[in-house]
Amino acid sequence: MKETRLGEFEEVILLLVGILGEEAYAFKIAEEFESQTKRAVSIGAVHSTLNRLGDKGFLTSEMGKSTPERGGRRKRIYTITASGQRVLQIARDFKLSLWDQFPAFSTGKLSFGK
Amino acid sequence: MKTVKQIPPKLARRFLLWFLRDDLAEEVLGDLEEKFLVVLNEKSLFKARLHYWYQTINYLRPFATRHLKSNSNYFTMYQHNFKLTYRNFLKYKSTFLINLIGLSTGLACALLIYLWVADEVAVDKFHQKNARLYQVIENQGLSGNTRSTRSTPWLLAEALAEEMPEVAYAAVATPPFWHEKSTLKVKDKSVKAGKQYVGRDYFNIFSYNLIHGDKHRVLNDKNSIVISEDLAVKLFGTVDNILGETIEYQQEAEYVVSGIFENIPASSSIQFDFVLSVELLKDSQPQAFLWKNSGPYTYLVLKEGTDPIAFNEKIAGFIKTKTEDTHRSLLLTKYAENYLRGNFQNGKRVGGRIEYVRLFSIIAIFILIIACINFMNLSTARASRRMKEVGVKKAMGVPRKALVIQYLTESIVLAFLALLLAIAVVSMFLPEFNLIMGKQLVLRPNAELAVAAITITLFTGILAGSYPALYLSGFKPVTILKGKLQNSVGELWARGGLVVFQFTLSVIFIVCVLVVYKQIAFIQTKNIGYNKDNVIHFEIEGKIKENLDTFLTELERIPGVVSASAAAQSMVGGGNTANISWEGKDPDTKIPFAFRPANYGLIELLDLKVTEGRAFSRNYSDSLAVIFNESGIKTMGLKDPIGSVIQLGSFQCKIVGVVKDFHYESLRTPIRPMFFILSPPQFLEKVVARIEAGKVGPTLERMEQFYRKYNPGFVFDFKFLDQDYQNQYRAEQRISVLSRYFAVIAILISCLGLFGLAAFTAERRSKEIGIRKILGAGSLKIIMSLSTDFTKMVLVAITISLPISYFITRSWLSNFAFGIDLEWWFFLGAGLLALLITWLTVGIQTVKAANANPVECLKDE
Repeated sequence: MKETRLGEFEEVILLLVGILGEEAYAFKIAEEFESQTKRAVSIGAVHSTLNRLGDKGFLTSEMGKSTPERGGRRKRIYTITASGQRVLQIARDFKLSLWDQFPAFSTGKLSFGK
Repeated sequence: MKTVKQIPPKLARRFLLWFLRDDLAEEVLGDLEEKFLVVLNEKSLFKARLHYWYQTINYLRPFATRHLKSNSNYFTMYQHNFKLTYRNFLKYKSTFLINLIGLSTGLACALLIYLWVADEVAVDKFHQKNARLYQVIENQGLSGNTRSTRSTPWLLAEALAEEMPEVAYAAVATPPFWHEKSTLKVKDKSVKAGKQYVGRDYFNIFSYNLIHGDKHRVLNDKNSIVISEDLAVKLFGTVDNILGETIEYQQEAEYVVSGIFENIPASSSIQFDFVLSVELLKDSQPQAFLWKNSGPYTYLVLKEGTDPIAFNEKIAGFIKTKTEDTHRSLLLTKYAENYLRGNFQNGKRVGGRIEYVRLFSIIAIFILIIACINFMNLSTARASRRMKEVGVKKAMGVPRKALVIQYLTESIVLAFLALLLAIAVVSMFLPEFNLIMGKQLVLRPNAELAVAAITITLFTGILAGSYPALYLSGFKPVTILKGKLQNSVGELWARGGLVVFQFTLSVIFIVCVLVVYKQIAFIQTKNIGYNKDNVIHFEIEGKIKENLDTFLTELERIPGVVSASAAAQSMVGGGNTANISWEGKDPDTKIPFAFRPANYGLIELLDLKVTEGRAFSRNYSDSLAVIFNESGIKTMGLKDPIGSVIQLGSFQCKIVGVVKDFHYESLRTPIRPMFFILSPPQFLEKVVARIEAGKVGPTLERMEQFYRKYNPGFVFDFKFLDQDYQNQYRAEQRISVLSRYFAVIAILISCLGLFGLAAFTAERRSKEIGIRKILGAGSLKIIMSLSTDFTKMVLVAITISLPISYFITRSWLSNFAFGIDLEWWFFLGAGLLALLITWLTVGIQTVKAANANPVECLKDE
């Protein structure tokens, strides 16, 4: 059976695909990752992850339009599938349930400005 | 203005397209180009291009690369070969281990020897002007033969530089081993260091690079001293800003630092800590600077384009134009070659250290071959196991070439695995090896070493794999698949021949080890005619020089000191002269006599036996008296030597005694004529003292205390005479130790192979053994029948090896004028040893097979 769990890096990439919408292609995602997380990443690494997410069925992709700064080359635009949406939802719910059980949080000693 | 094109690096793009899956090319190239433009805007073009490379390399991921596998037959085949190799290793673990251990030991030997050889060959080749760098040596045509010596006239270098337009630079230099270490002092720091007196252009000839100072001028002033980096740090604590400082030398002179040279690399055959100007010697010993006197070495650099052969002819008779000596001629030799090929006979190069280089290279190759033979034998012996595989493959139409490649892959993979192990072994044993060889070799990864290691390994792999590959791939598929494989007579012969070859080499090694060992023992124990034990010597310097007699008398008063005297050199080594004549001498004969300047008491101190006359004595007016050895008297043909007068140069010397012949040189040479001459203190350089046996330690301590008080500012730096004696045979001792190691390794590897072969034979014949036992054969009978084949092979090996080893050892022993005789039992012993080892190796296997319960091997099937 194909592996369907979501790694941390995969989760972030998947979210970024959702955020970027029409502009979700490897270069843009890598740029967005770097600006949001302040961590360096190579396009190759992002591409590899996108490819893996596609294999797991969380993403689909198709070739999009070309722009002049790419030397007239087309780009591959990624979109989240229904199962991608679901897996993100599950990941979020799981984290929230963990947070709910976290004692410091539930007793209200820490303020997260919620 | 020319603008650089702001595009991504072409090479990176080509590389990317080479490995990237075609369907990804468009989007990836686009992405990377966008990224490139972003970086370009933010940073520089260079950074952007660099970043492009980074991104490219980051695309080297499985998902993005082409799958070579999918459409290449070659890839599939090699993958298959590797897989089979791996499985075969796993399946036949003992064979694999035997081969691995054998090959890695062989490779380790080869690597070690390669490191050593590479180091030896590189010696003295680092000088920038190496191609034009020559040393002039002197040939002396003496009665009977020509003696070649590196000692040349003191005036030669200057004269050549002046008179010969072909010479770019020429300089005289005293060899560092002439001089004992001398004491240098700066303020309160004294250091002992080795020196050399050299001519002005020395640093123009040799590439001992100057850190400070101008190489054209450092030696212009005769009071200059040029010191090494290390010495500078020891004396001044720094190498900077010390030009112009003064250094006190031996408490007798002060010299000004004019230059500092980089520490001399280990690959230089000359090692020294500082140099002084040869002009100093011209002042202190003007009598040396005459054309009739030879001494120091002469080096020169020829101008570019000079023909060395023509120049050699031109200078050959140079000395004759300066003196009346007609027997002295000059020879131009390549400086870098003098290290490895430093021996001359009859005025021609005849070898030298290169013989050891060759010897060890041959040994390395032989050990590798022995290891390869193991692989060949075990693979062919086990061929029956792989017959079906070969048969099926051939029936399916696999060409022979592919099978050959498969088996070669197996052996080459094994060889590379062995290489990894060998590298570990080498790095483990390198310190020990350095100790034996007196080297500072390091295992540093560099291109040269990598190329050498890979070449050696490939060679080993191919050598080991070639025979099995050709053999296995040559089967006829029909015969194999029918299940019949007749062992051909030729094949058995080949396998036996290989074992015979291994054991022949092993036996030769054993004999050589025995003979070298016996000869070394002989050297150690031979009565050399004087007593070298418990004798020390040290330099006459400082206050000792002022009054030698007082010092010697006081030294003798120290408890534990038996006697003290003085000489010019340690007993080992010294000068020669042919400038000697006696009554009735044929004026044309030129025979070199060794001479040893001596003080009173030296003859007695060394326990030399006086056969006629007496030793030097203060009771007579013995100034310039001489004492000959028996050979000397015989050479001169004097009937009644005592009281005769001989002419030595311009001096008249009276013979007062004769000593029995003794070995003042190494045992390699026969005892030549020599004489002691009672010399005034200025010709003596060493104090010699005998210490009471058994009290060496405490006496030395007392001597040092006394020395420090008597001669402040100098260090009591002594040497033992018997150590000097041993040092003459360092090369032989190295050979002795190394040959022992190599012999053990050769025998071990051979035995490993035999062990494997015996195990295999026992296994294959297990049914036969079972039936024999059931029919009533005893264990002993079975052991005999199993080991007969091996015994035969080893016997053949012994027969072949004995004459060969006889010739090898005899030719080695001929280097010694005094050597041991080859006894018959060396050879018999070596043969028996080999046979014994064989039986032990084979015995373990056969006894196991013979004692097995016959039911075990007969029940299945």
